[in-house]
Amino acid sequence: MRVALVGNQNSGKTTLFNLLTGSNQKVGNWPGVTIERKVGMIRSTNVELIDLPGIYSLSPYSIEEEISRKFLFEEKIDLILNIIDSTSMERSLYLTTQLLELGIPVVIALNMSDIADKRGIKIDLKTLEERLDTTILSISAAKKTNVFNLIQTIKQGEYRKNNYHHIYDHDLEDGIRSLISIIDSKHPRFLAIKLIEQDPVFIKYQTDETLHTIQTLSKEYLRDMEQVIADERYRYIEYVRDEAVTAKKDQMTWTDRLDNIFLNRILAIPIFIVIMFTVYYLAAGPFGGATVDFVDRYVSLFSNWAEDALLSVGASPWSTSLVVDGMIAGVGAIMNFLPQLVILFLLISFLETTGYMARIAFFLDRIFQKVGLSGKSLIPFIIGSGCSVPAILSARTINDETEKKMTIMLTPFIPCSAKLPIITLFAGYFFKDNSGLASASLYFMAIAVILISAYVMKKVLFKGKTSTFILELPEYKLPSMKFILLDVWDKVVSFVKRAGSVILLASIAIWLLISFSWTFEYGVNPDQSILASLGNVFAWLFYPMIGEWSWGATVSAIQGLVAKEQVVASMAIIAGYSDTTSDGLLIFGSTAFSFFTAPAAYAFMVFNLFSAPCFGAIGAMRQELGTTKRMWGAVLFQTGIAWVLAVMVFNIGRLIEVVL
Amino acid sequence: MKLGAKKLKAGDHAKLSNLKKGQKAKVVLLNTSDKSLRRRLMDMGITEGVQIKIKKIAPLGDPIDIELRGYELCIRKIDLSTIDVEVIS
Repeated sequence: MRVALVGNQNSGKTTLFNLLTGSNQKVGNWPGVTIERKVGMIRSTNVELIDLPGIYSLSPYSIEEEISRKFLFEEKIDLILNIIDSTSMERSLYLTTQLLELGIPVVIALNMSDIADKRGIKIDLKTLEERLDTTILSISAAKKTNVFNLIQTIKQGEYRKNNYHHIYDHDLEDGIRSLISIIDSKHPRFLAIKLIEQDPVFIKYQTDETLHTIQTLSKEYLRDMEQVIADERYRYIEYVRDEAVTAKKDQMTWTDRLDNIFLNRILAIPIFIVIMFTVYYLAAGPFGGATVDFVDRYVSLFSNWAEDALLSVGASPWSTSLVVDGMIAGVGAIMNFLPQLVILFLLISFLETTGYMARIAFFLDRIFQKVGLSGKSLIPFIIGSGCSVPAILSARTINDETEKKMTIMLTPFIPCSAKLPIITLFAGYFFKDNSGLASASLYFMAIAVILISAYVMKKVLFKGKTSTFILELPEYKLPSMKFILLDVWDKVVSFVKRAGSVILLASIAIWLLISFSWTFEYGVNPDQSILASLGNVFAWLFYPMIGEWSWGATVSAIQGLVAKEQVVASMAIIAGYSDTTSDGLLIFGSTAFSFFTAPAAYAFMVFNLFSAPCFGAIGAMRQELGTTKRMWGAVLFQTGIAWVLAVMVFNIGRLIEVVL
Repeated sequence: MKLGAKKLKAGDHAKLSNLKKGQKAKVVLLNTSDKSLRRRLMDMGITEGVQIKIKKIAPLGDPIDIELRGYELCIRKIDLSTIDVEVIS
């Protein structure tokens, strides 16, 4: 048995899906978290449940809505589980009236019943069931109320089989019937209505005969038929509402009170800046920096112990070196940053679930509108502070093609969590007391670069119409600790997995390249190694931004393509092979990297932040932009901007140094 | 809406974008020329005769959060200006 889970955006579909199937899909408190359909089995049954992206209607505007509609119209489904937000019944029932027309049985789950109760919304289930002729259960996915009954109802097939009766007036109903008699479809009523609406997607089903019937019908109304049908649906919903729903009017909710502060004309933007600053200050500032030193002590202890252990069992010098100077040095350098990333993940996950994200989109829309983006682009940007890959995928919720492409190309500019090790390493060493400020400044610089690039792109590349922006502000919610912890855990696991796979392999490769010369002689001076000669080929590119011919910095920055944190791993390995000039941090105390000055450090951070993202994100860009040519365009555009910015920052920084 | 403009009174006909925070109006006509936007607005419940309240205005003056059919929706001013309304209060 196949059941499709359908509902409006942010109605709690994914929360219910996780509950019914026992899986752990990403949930969030903003519209459009689910962008692809997901499949799972309902616990202890053989019922397959398909979680579709949230939709308001079956007339598609963006890709995720198209996915849902195509699926419902073309695939074989035994039951539709329609999830409804009890606090906005009218708008939700609009979708329900369309689902019922498919002729597939529909079971309605009235979600968020607890919130509706609190707000004094009373729903007469019996009357509603009779009017819609479907089975309706009142549940709360967040509080897990009545979910067991829902499973039983589905499992035992104890639901009404949807003998749907008409909701339109006589003329329209007659028109629909005569169309049904001349078309051939699994969902005749649904198709007939789409034909009357002249929906462009269903134009291939039009025949001379259907067009004739529709023309006759239109003459009765002298109005646009699409509008007539929407009006009729809402007229019917109002009638059902009057019979089955009672609500208190004009209440001041908690969300309204909070919005008076967070959306306040004067306070909104300062509050936003303080929040974002706090996130970066905590993660990349002195507090996060202290955790790095803490872990580093244990990594060094482990490294020394491993070296002694290997030598005492008689391991050869080269194999000891591979483990200690290659694997432990590289992977260890990354693991140092784990506590810090946990802080960042916690804070972002918290912001995602509170409902504040949609507010950011709401009040920044004005600024984004000016440069050809909408507040909706902001959601990918904020997800991008975790990882660019899901962020690029989430750009699908943007309806306008141009705006979507621009968002995809600009998202990698946001400092993702893998770039955090680079920021902390440099900012912590070169801007000691102001490391928090230096890290946060990079974040705001990213926003400035995004706005300016978008403006230029709009003027030069994509001249076109402005897009629209329609968004629903979700209720503020106290985040569920369980969901936050699960989300953070998922991200931590994937970070550790990457350290144990990609970073480990890359570290071994770097060890090989630095240990051998072109004549395959082991243990050469690093300057004679294969790695050095490779770095020397590209070192001229980096000279203008760091003021030094450095093969070490060059090869490390290029490895950012594998994974951004690999830049740090590679620097740690190379530093291990150089002489120590001073005490303190291993990396900047080594002859390989002691040349770094504050301006060079800032410039190098800027380059690594803005240049081409890792292969994972490049792949995501390729997939979402559609062509390899566009992907190359994006990569060259990003790297070009990064280089120009880094060189500028370095030279301005040097000037400031001279003046001071 | 420009500063100093006269506040609309009950019974006035206006564009939805010209109302002030807290004002209510009834939709008279959707003048939206972009068909897919118009369809979207209708799907979201903005049909003729529906009552709309201006609930929140973004700190920079645009977009605007309106309340209708028991829920709230943010729309840009430029798109609201395609909706003709009759002021209720």
